[in-house]
Amino acid sequence: MSFLVVEGLVVGYGEARVLHGVDLSVAEGEICAILGPNGAGKTTLLRALSGMVRARGVIRLGGTALTGRPPDAVARLGVAHVPEGRGTFMPLTVEENLRLGAFVRRGGREVEDDLDRVCSWFPPLRDRLGQVAGSLSGGEQQMLALGRALMLRPKVLLLDEPSLGLAPLVTRELFRIVQAINQEERTTVVVVEQNAHLALGVARQAHVLETGRIVLSGTAERIRADEQVAQSYLGYRV
Amino acid sequence: MTQVEDAGVDARPERRRPRWTPTGRRRAAVAALLAAALYAPFQLVPFHVFQLTMVLVYAVALLGLNLLVGHAGQISLGHGAFFAVGAYTAAVLTHGPGLPYPLTLPAAAVVAFLLGLAFGVPAVRLRGLYLALVTLAMAIFLVPLLKRFEGVTGGSMGLTLPKPGPPAWSGLAEDQWLYFLALAVAVASFALVGSLLRSRVGRALHALRDDEGAAEVMGVRLPAYKTLAFAWSAMFAGVAGCVYTWVIGFVSPDSFTVNLSITLLAGLVVGGLGSTAGPVLGALFVMFVPSIAQDLNEAAPGVILGLLIIAVMYVAPTGLAGLAGRLIRKIPRKE
Ligand SMILES: Nc1ncnc2c1ncn2[C@@H]1O[C@H](COP(=O)(O)OP(=O)(O)O)[C@@H](O)[C@H]1O
Ligand SMILES: [Mg+2]
Repeated sequence: MSFLVVEGLVVGYGEARVLHGVDLSVAEGEICAILGPNGAGKTTLLRALSGMVRARGVIRLGGTALTGRPPDAVARLGVAHVPEGRGTFMPLTVEENLRLGAFVRRGGREVEDDLDRVCSWFPPLRDRLGQVAGSLSGGEQQMLALGRALMLRPKVLLLDEPSLGLAPLVTRELFRIVQAINQEERTTVVVVEQNAHLALGVARQAHVLETGRIVLSGTAERIRADEQVAQSYLGYRV
Repeated sequence: MTQVEDAGVDARPERRRPRWTPTGRRRAAVAALLAAALYAPFQLVPFHVFQLTMVLVYAVALLGLNLLVGHAGQISLGHGAFFAVGAYTAAVLTHGPGLPYPLTLPAAAVVAFLLGLAFGVPAVRLRGLYLALVTLAMAIFLVPLLKRFEGVTGGSMGLTLPKPGPPAWSGLAEDQWLYFLALAVAVASFALVGSLLRSRVGRALHALRDDEGAAEVMGVRLPAYKTLAFAWSAMFAGVAGCVYTWVIGFVSPDSFTVNLSITLLAGLVVGGLGSTAGPVLGALFVMFVPSIAQDLNEAAPGVILGLLIIAVMYVAPTGLAGLAGRLIRKIPRKE
């Protein structure tokens, strides 16, 4: 049963078209990886899903049309986006950043509990709640970005290259946590990655995007197994 | 720090002391300042009491401007106009219908708030330079507008009003009474803005200041919050204007030229954008520095003022509040 459905998605910046009719469907509670080379349009696809860029076509979440809604409305419908570059509010404290993640939930007991929950997933954050986010290391900032997104109690989590700029060990740990969250909370995850090996390790379905088109879709195992696919579409061995 | 710790795998880093705890010292500083503020009018000559009263008036105006510029990251080159609207609302309502002065305060607040709301709506669509130009235009058009509606505003001659007199029970002189009125308004305003900024709303303003795109993704409705920031900001400028009318007992268009707007913004930047002490330090600047510049050089006070601003910004790029914060943190702490 498809939860997140994308049909004929067309997105451009000004005159330049970046996505030329993308079709995609993600089942509820599944991790879906979007792979592809630099400039393929992966970030743009996530931006379209969360309403950050205008898109033509169909985006539906559990039967609700998302196309044309502004980002704040999409967030209210339960889509949390960890954008490229993480979008951390550097001058604000770790706690303020996390609370902003729950902005649309208006606070209350549950938000306090979730703050605690996020801190137990990412212990370094608990020790740094009062510090400004700008003082965190790269790994901690990625934890913060992920933790902040989880504060929404999202139905769908959009992750844009969580591995970017992080040491391999840190990245592996992050992916382990994403997988744990997916299993415990049944959160649907769409993860964009250049590091195909990592993404295919946690995803069930994967799609390869190239110059604005999906050129290959399938289960993660199949795509991982197909070395020729890896060579031709991903440009490297996985 | 190793990467393993970084990822929080198992080695939990030792709980570290916060580098400095602001709240304790902050409370002490506020208490000391309040005590001094309550004591000062009994020690100073009336003219100095009047000067301090004006510092409080400007501090409230800068508090509003700080909410918009320092906390919400928008710009206004025309905040003197909201100040003037508050001042004129108080003056006109006292002069015409003879409203008792305490009632002119909420009236000025509401009028300035609504005007801020009206300006906030287009302001939402504008950014940076364009927003600066629109707000500047507002300040420029205000003076001829005030002169034009002579029947209500008294035209170029302005309006002269009785000042609020001290009630007999207080045993205070007029200047002291005005001072305490201004102090009460200032304390209430700072408390109100303080609690606003600590709330969910404050976080939304900070988020949109730091990264609009990311704020929107968090679910912050940018148009709503920007418009509200404008309206609240205007409201405090209007409240300050109202107290100005009480204290001066006279309004005229020439008191509210574009110069006032620019001086307010300069004062805030010098005082420290986005900090709590910024508006107070900025108010001292607005009150005293232009006249010092005038004394130094009769011919070109603007040049002296400009040089002073550049000098301060060179020494303290985060404003005087930032400089003070740095100095205070250098004081060793008892463990
Ligand atoms: N804000 C923007 N304005 C104009 N062009 C953009 C913008 N963002 C991305 N692009 C272009 O869109 C294409 C896809 O970019 P992007 O979605 O960032 O790809 P990816 O995330 O797969 O590397 C690239 O050619 C890029 O230059
Ligand atoms: Mg990208």
